Amino acid sequence: MFKGKLGIIDLSKNKVTIKKTPESLKKLFFGGRGLNSYYLYKMIKPGIDPFSPENVLIFGTGFLTGTLVPNSSRFNVSAKSPETGILGDSNCGGYFAAEMRYAGFDRLIIYGKAKKPCYLYVTDNKIEIKDAGDYWGMDTTDVQQILRKDLGHVEVACCGMAGENLVRFACVRTGVKNAAGRCGLGAVMGSKHLKAIAVKGTQGIQIKHPEEMLETVEQLKEYIMNSKITSILGSVGTPLLYEVSNTLGAIRTKNSQLNAWSESLNAEEIEKHVEKMISCSSCIVHCRHRNMLGGEGPEYTAVGLLGANLGIEDPAEVIELNNVCNELGLDISSSGTILAWAFELYEKGIIDKKFTEEELGFGNFELAKKLLYKISRREGFGDILAESTKNIVRFGEKSKDYLIAVKGLPQSDPHDCRYIKAFALGIATSSRGADHLRSRPTLEIFLRLPQEVKDRIYGKGVPNDPTSYTAKEKTVYFSDNIFAVIDNLGICKFICHGFNSPHFVDYTWMKKLIHCASGWTVKEKDLEDVGKRVIDIERMFNNREGISRKDDTLPKRYFDDPMPLNLSKGHHIDRKEFDKLLTRYYKIRGWTNDGQVKKERVIELEALV
Amino acid sequence: MKYLYVYPEKCTGCRECSIACSLNKFGECNPKKAAITIVRDEFNRYEFPILCFQCEDPVCLKFCHQNAYQIKDGIVIRDKDKCIGCRLCATLCPYNAVTTIDDEIIKCDLCDGDPKCVKYCSTGAIQYLDETEELEKRRKNMAENFLEINKK
Repeated sequence: MFKGKLGIIDLSKNKVTIKKTPESLKKLFFGGRGLNSYYLYKMIKPGIDPFSPENVLIFGTGFLTGTLVPNSSRFNVSAKSPETGILGDSNCGGYFAAEMRYAGFDRLIIYGKAKKPCYLYVTDNKIEIKDAGDYWGMDTTDVQQILRKDLGHVEVACCGMAGENLVRFACVRTGVKNAAGRCGLGAVMGSKHLKAIAVKGTQGIQIKHPEEMLETVEQLKEYIMNSKITSILGSVGTPLLYEVSNTLGAIRTKNSQLNAWSESLNAEEIEKHVEKMISCSSCIVHCRHRNMLGGEGPEYTAVGLLGANLGIEDPAEVIELNNVCNELGLDISSSGTILAWAFELYEKGIIDKKFTEEELGFGNFELAKKLLYKISRREGFGDILAESTKNIVRFGEKSKDYLIAVKGLPQSDPHDCRYIKAFALGIATSSRGADHLRSRPTLEIFLRLPQEVKDRIYGKGVPNDPTSYTAKEKTVYFSDNIFAVIDNLGICKFICHGFNSPHFVDYTWMKKLIHCASGWTVKEKDLEDVGKRVIDIERMFNNREGISRKDDTLPKRYFDDPMPLNLSKGHHIDRKEFDKLLTRYYKIRGWTNDGQVKKERVIELEALV
Repeated sequence: MKYLYVYPEKCTGCRECSIACSLNKFGECNPKKAAITIVRDEFNRYEFPILCFQCEDPVCLKFCHQNAYQIKDGIVIRDKDKCIGCRLCATLCPYNAVTTIDDEIIKCDLCDGDPKCVKYCSTGAIQYLDETEELEKRRKNMAENFLEINKK
């Protein structure tokens, strides 16, 4: 279990060092996102340019990644984000992370900048920096296929043309559609002249108690497979969520001018374009669509943000835009949000043809497709859009009022957060900006959830009314913590307690799985502490970059424009109530009223590590 | 007699079968060190399990100079002590179902009637079934498909 190595790669000096991760560090963070965030805090000097050689790019697998543990395919890519200037981090599935562990590595830390385009070739206990001259300029599928032709069956994480061209929302891609999508980490690869990491390994992950793992996983598998949500996710995948949000009137539509859109994008319509459902490594849910248009997906995010948010109704067109983003190496969440923002700004006359070169408007598939391509190549208006939310400076202060982003990160969840107050608090406080996968307490949507179940999960006093602000800091606090731990372990959130189901992998299951794999005895409380530690160290990183209470806010529209349609009609976020909610959240986190991690805690954490 | 049957159309490529096999046999998680292999290529869009069919006249047994293979209750078993590790069985197997890695030769033994690959498969892509019953089922499906096509 603990043979996994840490590869440190200095691209400026063309030097590779191989080390071990101290066991004490693993006990504090386990792995994955948590350990990545620790290294970012330790290694990155505040104020550096994310595109400078000083930025540190980390590929970190989870503690249980690549094992028999269900859905243990995940890894995190982390660096200072060029899109936001704060902590950048993105979690990803597929086959890359498991293969990296089979090659003997838990984590790769990359800094500096290569003189010429390069890629890393990682094989059993060995890392080589190789020339990528032949691969530079390729889109994401081409480079992966040619690397397989040249090296055999490698698993690859790469950036596309968008990453090479420093598009601030370029993703890191592996396989046909798995992406560490958020925060522009593909552009960090591009800035380092790093086209790809190809891994191929033959070593196993030694398990401390093999029989115990076989037994525990058998029980866990049965438990998960018997849940209704598992079979639904396994047959239609995340597009299922579209209808749920849409019925409520909480699908971001045309840059949140509207909050509901066409039923033509419901899961049953998407399903007609799906050939087969497939899995990531070790996954028993299999929510990935192999679509009939030559790619994989779409996820709910794509359906919402490349569909409703762009005013597009035809599922085939949405799937094609999804495939295009994947090919070019663009983050779908940012792409859909930034395009919609530009369309509304044009309609409102805040920007004109001086910038855009042509007429912009919603519901125009060809226009959206062309702009995505131009963004990836940084051509014309695409060169401007590639700057993401930084365009506020270019487009003028007024443009900010229409931007659906927090801390410079466009919102990923297609869910309009004006109705469900816990979702709003979640995206306002998430450590990477407006992102739902840090804390989305999805259970808030399940209005019929018995109160005692809610009490058991979140603690007493959380009302079953999603529009109430009362005690919602508790749901976000709980979810933030447990999602951080599941990210550390390398397990997909789909089987995490409290994400889509009030059941699934909770701290007790985690405790058992950790014991099988490593022999470590940990308590539920220890695991919750690990989660809190991750949230605090990420906040420390952001505090150091100047983040405070003023930044934990929401898009103006969420405060000031009541939702126009369906069940959620009339709802918006009340500034005063939100402010009080934020104060309560800081209190439960133990942060200062200004949203700073307290000095004692900073000293404590710095001493621990 | 019960054997392993494969339904590639149900395989999602996750490799829980191979990982369970390696964990059971070697105490480690390693899909490349298993008696069952999933060949998968997301770009060419397929997932395909490869495993031992327990042939009645097995090539692995026939060409083994050391007589390391024997058939016991319909299962082709390799005797580790007799094996000299020449890997001829793996080379000759028409289905490439014998794995060689790290000085190990791995040949499916159906886990004493409780195949782990089947147990950890979540979609029924690998099933452990009675040959007569399975054949009856497959024939019936085929007949129905044929009649369906004939109608058109």
